[in-house]
Amino acid sequence: MEWFLDPFALGFQQRALAGGILAGLMTAVVGTWLVLRGMSFFGDAFVHGVVPGVAAAVVFDINPLLGAAAAALVMVLAIELVNRQTALGEDTSIGLLFVGMLALGVIIISRVDSYSGSLTTILFGDALGVTSQDLIIQAVLAVVVISAATLFYRPLLALSFNADKAQLWGLNPKRAHAALLVLIAAAVIGSFQSVGTLLVFGLLVGPPATAALVSRTVPRMVLTAAIISVFSVWIGLTLSFHLNTAGSATMAIVPIVLFFVVLAFTRLRTLRREKVLSHV
Amino acid sequence: MSDVVVGHNVVIARGSQIAIAASDFTIPQGKITAIIGPNGSGKSTLLHAIAGLLPLSSGTLTVLDETPVASQPRISYVLQYTTVPSGTPLTVAEAVAMARYPGLGLFGRPSREDKKYVTSAMERLKITDLAKRHLTELSGGQRQRVYVAQGIAQDHAILLLDEPLTGLDITSAKTIDSIIHEEPDRGCSVVLTTHDLEEARAADHVILTAGRVVAFGKPQDVLTTENLTNAYGLGSLHEHQSTDLILPAEHHLGDHSH
Repeated sequence: MEWFLDPFALGFQQRALAGGILAGLMTAVVGTWLVLRGMSFFGDAFVHGVVPGVAAAVVFDINPLLGAAAAALVMVLAIELVNRQTALGEDTSIGLLFVGMLALGVIIISRVDSYSGSLTTILFGDALGVTSQDLIIQAVLAVVVISAATLFYRPLLALSFNADKAQLWGLNPKRAHAALLVLIAAAVIGSFQSVGTLLVFGLLVGPPATAALVSRTVPRMVLTAAIISVFSVWIGLTLSFHLNTAGSATMAIVPIVLFFVVLAFTRLRTLRREKVLSHV
Repeated sequence: MSDVVVGHNVVIARGSQIAIAASDFTIPQGKITAIIGPNGSGKSTLLHAIAGLLPLSSGTLTVLDETPVASQPRISYVLQYTTVPSGTPLTVAEAVAMARYPGLGLFGRPSREDKKYVTSAMERLKITDLAKRHLTELSGGQRQRVYVAQGIAQDHAILLLDEPLTGLDITSAKTIDSIIHEEPDRGCSVVLTTHDLEEARAADHVILTAGRVVAFGKPQDVLTTENLTNAYGLGSLHEHQSTDLILPAEHHLGDHSH
């Protein structure tokens, strides 16, 4: 029992767990729609896209959340601009902004003396450095994200099914898509301090992708993804304490490992069923 | 016979390309209209414009005496099963029930009447036994039946179907074909796209497209050798057949001619 309790004996460890759980819940809800709509590449680019905003906040000593929000807005507008002004595919515009924003972030942060330390914190987070104030902001964002995702359930489901059908059902797919972008931004902004901009992607995609392997309905997929997220955060922090590894990275790798474990299990189950049926 | 769709000098572009050049056409009320033409001739484009999903570049298009967008609550559009992703974790019953969303809004609970519409649509498409199956577990034909059930479970005055019978197994094709022929008896106008000349001949009204509307009207007036040669650009088309291209309706799958 001590093996499970020791990692959370101290206040900063408990805040790391609470911050991770809040991040996990937000990313599970939003990530489900990201995976269902095949927007994983956008999600990956988006989490890199906030780097220059956070870097500028470090350089100019302003709230990193504001910097991240501004960078997220620039990223979405620029992708939209390239999409509308050229005949290039959306993946190209996302790729351009992905590299451009990450490079800009590294250039900005390279101006500060503690360059490597600041960059590492931005990219990989500082789970054990989460403050009570960070938790309050995260909790507010989590409530907003989960409430909005519930409100937009039908428009988002219709959009995932087919945008034209959503339009004909009066569920405005453009508004639903814009709402999803805002929710992704809110989840990333509310999570990067705990798990870092790069690793938040692991929580955005890993738990929903794993949940998709075993869920038959979207609400179940969201619920399963949330459970996997919370489990990943808890077991990740526990393992990081005992193995003396980076907390954020250990949290992020758990859902990816889980995905392959569940994939292997489901494949084996399918093979066994096929074998039984072939003998009938 | 009144018309539910009236197009006058309709021009529709897809990006910078003109998909339908200046065209006039009508679609009669309570009948089956088939839109036929070669690949890329603008069949689906026309269907999209009628559904209010594509704006006109010029001309006027009236649907149910309103603009296409204003008519959307009374239009049901069944897309080709190949264009709808099957990866969304939905059961058959849930997919069909989505058709009632327009009347439910964001939070409304389905009424007994909503459930009746869904049950009836599933029964008519013979997919009740598949209700709990996941969309990914269905064959292409079964999925198309689910999408047609979704189409008829929605309140509608016009049912649009994009190639509803293409590439289906015989059971699914027969079931969907009978639905197509039942809908006019329920006061609904059906508009479908097809590549199949026989299917077009079995319709009440035909629109022949080839980057514009080449001809529209009764099948025997539209599907002439001259028009088909114009539309398909193939002098050899059906050269081996009689100049009378109208085959007996019994030759068509599940004849329901009125």
